Amino acid sequence: MPLLEIDDLYTNIRLKQGEVKAVGGVSISINAGETVGLVGESGCGKTMTGMSIMRLLPASGYIASGKVKLDGRDLVAISEEEMRAVRGNDIGMIFQDPMTSLNPCLTIGSQIAEAVALHRKVKKAKAMERAIEVLNLVGMPKPQERINDYPHQLSGGLRQRVMIAMALSCEPKLLIADEPTTALDVTIQAQILELLDSLKDQLGMAMLLITHDMGVIAGRADRVVVMYAGKVVEQASTEEIFASTNHPYTEALLASIPKMDGSVARLYSIPGIPPDLSNPPTGCRFADRCRLASDQCRDNEPPLVTNDQNHSFACFHPVGIEANHVKITLKVEAEEIQRIEHADRKPLMVLEHVSKEFDITKGAILQRKAGTLKAVSDLSLTIYDGETIGIVGESGCGKSTTGSMMVALEKPTSGKVLFNGEDLFGHKPKELRLIRSNLQLMFQDPYASLDPRMSVGTIIREPLDINKIGTSQEREKKVISLLSEVGLSSRAVERYPHEFSGGQRQRIGLARALALNPKLIVADEPVSALDVSIRSQVLNLMKDLQRTHGLTYVVISHDLSVVRFLADRIGVMYLGKLVEIGTGYDIYENPAHPYTAALLSAVPEPEPEREKTKVRKIIKGELPSAINPPSGCRFRTRCERATDLCAKEEPPMTSFGALHQAACHFPLISKVEIRTGAAAF
Amino acid sequence: MIAFLVKRVGQSVIVLIGVSIIAFILEHLLPGGPAKAILGGRASPFQIAAFNHANGLDKPIWEQYFVYTGNLLHGNLGRSYKLNQTVNSVLATDLPKSIILVGSALILSLIIAIPVGIFQAVRRNGIYDYAATSVSFLLYSMPSFWLGIILILAFAVNLHIFPSEAPQGQTIGAIITNPRAMFLPVITLTLVSYASFTRYMRSSAIEALAQDWIRTAKAKGLSQRVILFKHMLRNALIPIATLVGLSLPSLITAGVVTESVFNFPGTGFRFINAANTEDYPLLLGIIIVIGVMTVVGNLLADITYAVLDPRVRYR
Ligand SMILES: Nc1ncnc2c1ncn2[C@@H]1O[C@H](COP(=O)(O)OP(=O)(O)OP(=O)(O)O)[C@@H](O)[C@H]1O
Ligand code: SF4
Ligand code: SF4
Ligand SMILES: [Mg+2]
Repeated sequence: MPLLEIDDLYTNIRLKQGEVKAVGGVSISINAGETVGLVGESGCGKTMTGMSIMRLLPASGYIASGKVKLDGRDLVAISEEEMRAVRGNDIGMIFQDPMTSLNPCLTIGSQIAEAVALHRKVKKAKAMERAIEVLNLVGMPKPQERINDYPHQLSGGLRQRVMIAMALSCEPKLLIADEPTTALDVTIQAQILELLDSLKDQLGMAMLLITHDMGVIAGRADRVVVMYAGKVVEQASTEEIFASTNHPYTEALLASIPKMDGSVARLYSIPGIPPDLSNPPTGCRFADRCRLASDQCRDNEPPLVTNDQNHSFACFHPVGIEANHVKITLKVEAEEIQRIEHADRKPLMVLEHVSKEFDITKGAILQRKAGTLKAVSDLSLTIYDGETIGIVGESGCGKSTTGSMMVALEKPTSGKVLFNGEDLFGHKPKELRLIRSNLQLMFQDPYASLDPRMSVGTIIREPLDINKIGTSQEREKKVISLLSEVGLSSRAVERYPHEFSGGQRQRIGLARALALNPKLIVADEPVSALDVSIRSQVLNLMKDLQRTHGLTYVVISHDLSVVRFLADRIGVMYLGKLVEIGTGYDIYENPAHPYTAALLSAVPEPEPEREKTKVRKIIKGELPSAINPPSGCRFRTRCERATDLCAKEEPPMTSFGALHQAACHFPLISKVEIRTGAAAF
Repeated sequence: MIAFLVKRVGQSVIVLIGVSIIAFILEHLLPGGPAKAILGGRASPFQIAAFNHANGLDKPIWEQYFVYTGNLLHGNLGRSYKLNQTVNSVLATDLPKSIILVGSALILSLIIAIPVGIFQAVRRNGIYDYAATSVSFLLYSMPSFWLGIILILAFAVNLHIFPSEAPQGQTIGAIITNPRAMFLPVITLTLVSYASFTRYMRSSAIEALAQDWIRTAKAKGLSQRVILFKHMLRNALIPIATLVGLSLPSLITAGVVTESVFNFPGTGFRFINAANTEDYPLLLGIIIVIGVMTVVGNLLADITYAVLDPRVRYR
């Protein structure tokens, strides 16, 4: 008998008008000790499924029908009182955002101990002992001392460890982890996933791992359940589902993820957006977006059928089974994969020893200077006309600050930013505005960056108005042509941003950025707020626009696969320093800097075999503070190769190839002598 | 925490110096200066000059200010010529009674407002919530003298349950030993401050209940009671502490009005009389004392805030 058996679960959420059918007939079973991954796009009902198991739905939500059996006992039918004894005791749960999931007014020790005291019926002191024990288990350094800390005294990674300690304190049989690492940096994500895996084995518990990240699933789950629009569409063992995908949705999802090896030049993109769950379509819910849809699909709902490999899917025309339904192939066109010859290009922007420091002040009335935060330190970089530079690194490493200096939004504390050979900050304000129209910024959050009170037409026209370009009719015409270029209809002109989906808003943002025919676009996390399928549409569009407009891009992202997909050259930053730069191949296949290598090995890839066998070099510890960065090499506190020399002397940038440079005393590959003339970066 | 306190106290001192300067300037801005105010409109210039010399009012203005603040620091608030008593002795009999009135109303209103606000938040948009919201809006829109008169009409004139006048004794004992007569003034003030406290408590509790950590607490299997009173309450009280500090001035104003409606022999009553008889030294003395109490009240509210919120304490 499985440990948990969800049987035909329907969960609805009442709205002012109508109801959202958030979960529409889901059946999942989880065996003891097993990890089941639950994947799907935002809004497909993953969280509501998890919350239904715990019976922690929002006030307006309810389980309409179905059973949730834990060890044979139906949790839907028991009283609230009995359910409370299950929560935290038989089933533990951890949530996405460790920053907001802990009570700011209670110490972490008391927050863990209260669960123990409640379920184990022990005294406070005993419960506290147990709290220390589990904090130790989850790798909290010095738990004895940390027990009286408040959440705000801990970093995000440590807070997530506290959350895990809390969920595991009573040794539950099942752990529900809802996007446990989505809010964390890749290196911390790798630490937490590794921890969850080893704890699961130690305690012999089962885990429901909810995530939108196929890479996380590939390395950690035994079995995968794919949801779409409130329904399970495919379910199989992890190896099986990746190797012989049957459902067109799963297939499309996998094909829209950029690969880390840079092997695809274009991504598959699923057209359209998921259906509105307050009024779900009849027939197959994926039909509107499916490349194989037939009339049969639109009229009838495909049943979930299971084959002899214990692989089930709900589709009339499964991929790879019917002869004429071949898999999506992503052709790599020779013309596109061709790497740019840098020798032929001229520099567009040069950063010379650029540093940016922010003063940290203390006190509300009498602001004393408490130190300086070194956001960017002595960064030199040349950007060539028409290329795409990617900048990667963990949060707080100075990526965005560097980007803001490139578009003249932030003035460097020292150093120069040269655009077409001229110093950006050596100009009068009027001239600077003219230059600035060549430099555009594309923001991370398509929700926050567009003024909700302005129509889309006004938003896109605004830069033209401000700079008084063309007549009124010409501006209107330009707006229409920009909209069609980014794939939006001209009707969008009169509509407002809230009427558009995230991907569409990001297109509006692109159209606005293009209005003044800029030379350089700095895209700061352009797709990180978007779902996989929407993400691939925007990424393809960015590539197309670069070709048609001769754009130069600087793409800033914490997502290494996005950067690999877009960028010709990639710079890796750590704590305000550029530690390595090179072509995609240099960085991903042949890294010289230990940090680059560790960062890469931390990224989970959607390839089960590789993920499960890969030797992970997990970076230990947390990111040091940028107010007091370590002496010498800033990475030395977390570096395996660090020696005394690394603490004493800052490693200089050295060359490893024509376009490849890194700053490390003990690099992973050997240095090369560069012929004169090429080392001008 | 120590640094926080030092800073707070420092700010309070600055505010108090400001209050003393304003009071001092007001006293000297009076037409004809303090002498005319005290000796009356018909005093001859010679009498005024003699008075000024006797009281040091012919010295340079800054010197007078230092004498004045020196006196204040020694707790000497000056002399009421109308009552022929020191301001200190007038306040010594009146102030404790007013503190009892306003203090008990403040405590009582919090005791009612906090649970009602929580209850409304838990049952939000239900019938009880709407009813309680209507009541607090009604009270909120009503001036305190109006509310006092209505209560007198209802409970004293019509129903004869409570006397219409506050206890009239001069001592504190006379006030405390007559709770029946204290009832209406205290209730008037309580209802006035209850109205805003409960609205804030409701919204602050709703906000706290929507936080992610409430969901975490539920996922641990804690009961509703523990979630409300251990997890939610403390967070929701943080803004209330500030609110109480900020509402002290308006509470004191309402206290002045209530005292005169109920003939309560306290500082507020005295204040109105002093205004009518142009007893400026007494008036200014009362203003200074109320200023000090407001500042101290705010300081206490800030300390409460810091005790409740560890993010302020550990900075
Ligand atoms: N409190 C709520 N009120 C109304 N509708 C809701 C509420 N919470 C979720 N929904 C709706 O229920 C459906 C399922 O949401 P759910 O949160 O389970 O999605 P998810 O798969 O977890 O998405 P994500 O990846 O964004 O976390 C969505 O259509 C969502 O809009
Ligand atoms: S049933 Fe039809 S529409 Fe649905 S996924 Fe299969 S082929 Fe596509
Ligand atoms: S310089 Fe030293 S500490 Fe820095 S990355 Fe290289 S080996 Fe590690
Ligand atoms: Mg979710």
